[in-house]
Amino acid sequence: MIKADKIEKTVPTSEGTLCILKGIELEIKAGETVAIVGSSGSGKSTLLGLLAGLDVPSSGTITLGGRVITSLNEDQRAKVRAELVGFVFQTFQLLPSLTALENVMLPAELSGVAGARQLAEKYLQRVGLGHRLKHYPRQLSGGEQQRVAIARAFVSQPKILFADEPTGNLDTVTGARVIDLLFELNREEGTTLVLVTHEQRLSERCQRCLTLSAGAIVADQHRPLPAEGE
Amino acid sequence: MFGLRLLWRDWRGGELGILAVSLVMAVAIVTGISLFAERLQKGLVAQSSHFLAADRVLQSPRPVTAVWLDQAEKIGLQQAQVLSFQSMVFVGDEMQLASIKAVSDHYPLLGQLERSEQAFTPGQRVEQGPAAGTVWLDSRLLPLLGTQVGESIYVGEAELQITGVVVNEPDRGGSFYGLGPRVLMHLDDIPATGVVQPGSRVQYRYLFAGEGKQLDRYGEWLAAKLGPSHQWLGLKDAQPRIALALDRAEQFLLLAGAMGVGLAGIAIALAARRYSERHYDYVAIMKSLGATSGTVMSIYTINLLLLALAATVIGCLLGWLIQSGFIYLLRDYFAIKTIPGISGRPFVVGAITALVCLLAFALPPLLALQGVSPLRVLRRDIAATKLSQGMSWGFGTVGIAGLMLWYSQDMTLTLIVMSGVALTFASVGGIAWYLLRGTTLPGMQAGSTLRLALASLRRRGMQNAVQVVIFSLSIMLLLMLSLVRTSLIDEWQLQLPEGTPNHFLLNVSAAETGAVASLLERNQLPSQPLYPMVRGRLTAINDRQVNTLVSKDDSARAQIDREINFSWAEQLPEGNVLVDGQWWLPGSSNAEMSIESRLAEKLDIVVGDTLHLQIGSEPLSATVSSIRQLDWDTMRPNFYMIFPPGLLKQYPATYISSFYLPAAKKTFLNTLLREFPTITVIEMDAVILQIRTIVNQVSSAIELVLALIVVSGLLVLVASVQASLDSRFQESAILRTLGAGRSLVLGSLVAEFTLLGLLAGLLAAGAAEVSVYSLQTFVLKMHYVPHPWVWLAGPLLGALLIGLAGYVTCRKVVNTPPVEVLRAL
Repeated sequence: MIKADKIEKTVPTSEGTLCILKGIELEIKAGETVAIVGSSGSGKSTLLGLLAGLDVPSSGTITLGGRVITSLNEDQRAKVRAELVGFVFQTFQLLPSLTALENVMLPAELSGVAGARQLAEKYLQRVGLGHRLKHYPRQLSGGEQQRVAIARAFVSQPKILFADEPTGNLDTVTGARVIDLLFELNREEGTTLVLVTHEQRLSERCQRCLTLSAGAIVADQHRPLPAEGE
Repeated sequence: MFGLRLLWRDWRGGELGILAVSLVMAVAIVTGISLFAERLQKGLVAQSSHFLAADRVLQSPRPVTAVWLDQAEKIGLQQAQVLSFQSMVFVGDEMQLASIKAVSDHYPLLGQLERSEQAFTPGQRVEQGPAAGTVWLDSRLLPLLGTQVGESIYVGEAELQITGVVVNEPDRGGSFYGLGPRVLMHLDDIPATGVVQPGSRVQYRYLFAGEGKQLDRYGEWLAAKLGPSHQWLGLKDAQPRIALALDRAEQFLLLAGAMGVGLAGIAIALAARRYSERHYDYVAIMKSLGATSGTVMSIYTINLLLLALAATVIGCLLGWLIQSGFIYLLRDYFAIKTIPGISGRPFVVGAITALVCLLAFALPPLLALQGVSPLRVLRRDIAATKLSQGMSWGFGTVGIAGLMLWYSQDMTLTLIVMSGVALTFASVGGIAWYLLRGTTLPGMQAGSTLRLALASLRRRGMQNAVQVVIFSLSIMLLLMLSLVRTSLIDEWQLQLPEGTPNHFLLNVSAAETGAVASLLERNQLPSQPLYPMVRGRLTAINDRQVNTLVSKDDSARAQIDREINFSWAEQLPEGNVLVDGQWWLPGSSNAEMSIESRLAEKLDIVVGDTLHLQIGSEPLSATVSSIRQLDWDTMRPNFYMIFPPGLLKQYPATYISSFYLPAAKKTFLNTLLREFPTITVIEMDAVILQIRTIVNQVSSAIELVLALIVVSGLLVLVASVQASLDSRFQESAILRTLGAGRSLVLGSLVAEFTLLGLLAGLLAAGAAEVSVYSLQTFVLKMHYVPHPWVWLAGPLLGALLIGLAGYVTCRKVVNTPPVEVLRAL
């Protein structure tokens, strides 16, 4: 589903070129759940951005759902994202001027899916927010906001879901509930999940854990899938 | 469809507020002012045309060929005719020199003809002049002739019945033929009088009324056919003073409108910038969810167009209400019965303004949205690829200048205003940056309100410099407008102050001068000195005969083709200023003279030239020893040529003067004329009253327009304060979290804005003075006087307005709980 080949990412700084990622080789299969872990500044979020097609590497190629996104321009990549990708962010990234329902409708509307409203309502019901459709993000708690974000991520029925520190802004109890929800939905929809996290608890629930250090993959652990709810 | 929903959600979420309000204001101001200016202009022109009793008048000493009148008929113009001359009228043994006016059926085409049943009673409006066989007399004439309404009067050989008293005629003022009490009769009775013979001194006036285009077409057709003795008169010729007042008022309204657009434009630019900055995240999220740049741009472009449409509709509606309010407020001033209708132009102006404002001011910041990276969803510090500041200012400047030019149709005015704006930008920006640039003191200086404010001012040096420029610009435009308004109104009031002479006395004989002066004095009527007057012709300048002269313009020809009034004086008359040469020594009887500067210029006469004149049948030659400048609009006796007393004394002279007669003492004229029956009185009071009314109307309109512009100025201030609100929110939340009191934070914010306002006001005062000087000198052609008070008013106004705007907007900053602000970051 995702293939990265010899990815490098460098950025120019006042003290010369800084190499953020070097020689990343990676393949993720459809339906796989992958956690990317590592210390601050190890390049986790950069890698996630590249894999999701939000940014382009300095060299190397990335294939997403069979398409080489590194040879596409931003608008073409946007189309690929609309078709294949869903996101969950640490800071939720809900649009403050839209209600919960409208936020969830947005990706469906952008890709011109018919019945966006019904679909959005269904997913909001699914994440347990059927009673807060008309609420604005500022009227929701952090956990509720992240549940809206999850509903939004799944509403376009993506093949791949990227999550950047999905529990980073939540307390332990709320974080745990959000993780449960994320994995439940992931299993139901059969989505490929790639997430960046600091939390061991979260990474342990993934089938595979990539450890990044100073821009390189230093460990790639596969583990047998534990039964959900264990 | 999605764009529409987004627009609606933005509006509901409060994101569009200032942008939409600024846009609506821009459209409302422009439409309102255009509508009002158009109606005012039409109304005043209509009212002023009443001075002519028509839109245009063809004046001729002889009847004109019927072909000319047929052509007017073909073009579809309304027509009427007036024949004026002076003649004796008789009732029994009583006789009186009267000014006869014979009018055709449709007289007057425009304006108000008033008639009453009895002498000295208020008149009633009538649609037509007297029927054939009847006359209406001036109130004054009835007692002078010892007659009354119902009896008959002889005009030449015709006996006509007096059926009324003429109280007011629209086209009474100004004409030489207006001398003496009026007799108004029908044109058809003229042959019966036997008075008008070929060669009689009479004046034919052909009146025309119709649409502007028809009139212009006829004027063009006629122009080639007119002879030197014909005059084609419009409002400007009939009442140059009113025409000038109207011209200036129109320019002022256009200037005000242009400034309104400029100010609203700035507000839109500021609001759009803020709107766009607040949408960076929005776009990043949409892009991460798969929206392409094209989708984003089409969404925002459609939004802008929808916004423009909505703003146009609402703005036009509001503009209509604004001008209705103006008309309502001015209902007492509008003496005209029906306020003229309006064209669609103001609404088109409004719609185009909305579109141009959006394209020039709102599009550049929104274009920047296209370049927002979707990676921003992961890393907020990634800035949007902003359109360069220069380019976005460039767009705005071209937009403002284009709108101003289109709106005012006046290149000089546009250039001056734009130069004023550029000057403000350059100098104010430089000075503000120098004063506010980040300097020595470290930290936030959170110990005291003032120090916190000062430190904050310096920390945001560049941002504040830009803000000062915007503040200065708004204050400058407001000051500029109010300065121009004040001098405009002052000048109008000064031209014809209360007590301006409103009656002229002519044909006073030398023997009567003492008695007339003492009669005026006994009745406590302030008067000008009695000036001697000798009539004569200019025959040659040096060795050139005047009839061979090719003059620079026709009006000069007209002036030398007829008799000119000469006078003599020991001293330079009051209100005259020597511009060249020397005034003669007392007791001089040298062959020298002083000539009026405009005539001298038209005829190329300079000091040292010898002019040859003819007075009666006597030739007289004199050398020009001085050139004088004078103001013809003062209602004082003025002369083209003045001689030393010794030189003209042998010629027969009559005396002339002017005096002020209040309306209540109008019957004094009867006493005067009974005592001195040969004196001629020209009554200018009605004309002066009409001019005053118009000047008052225009002044009130201008004040109202100024008020409107002040509103848009305030909008800019609010938008500008709002623009800097986001970073202030964050800072104040952090300060308050760290323990700063609400009053310290609010106090420092208000102090910061007040100081900015003080600085902006001071800089604006300077820029306004320079701009007003240019405007008055180059556009309005007025005399410039410095205004020391703006140096005080500017800073005070700035501090007060901006401090207040700061307080109102920043209250929210300190009233929002810090945790909420920090959470939203």
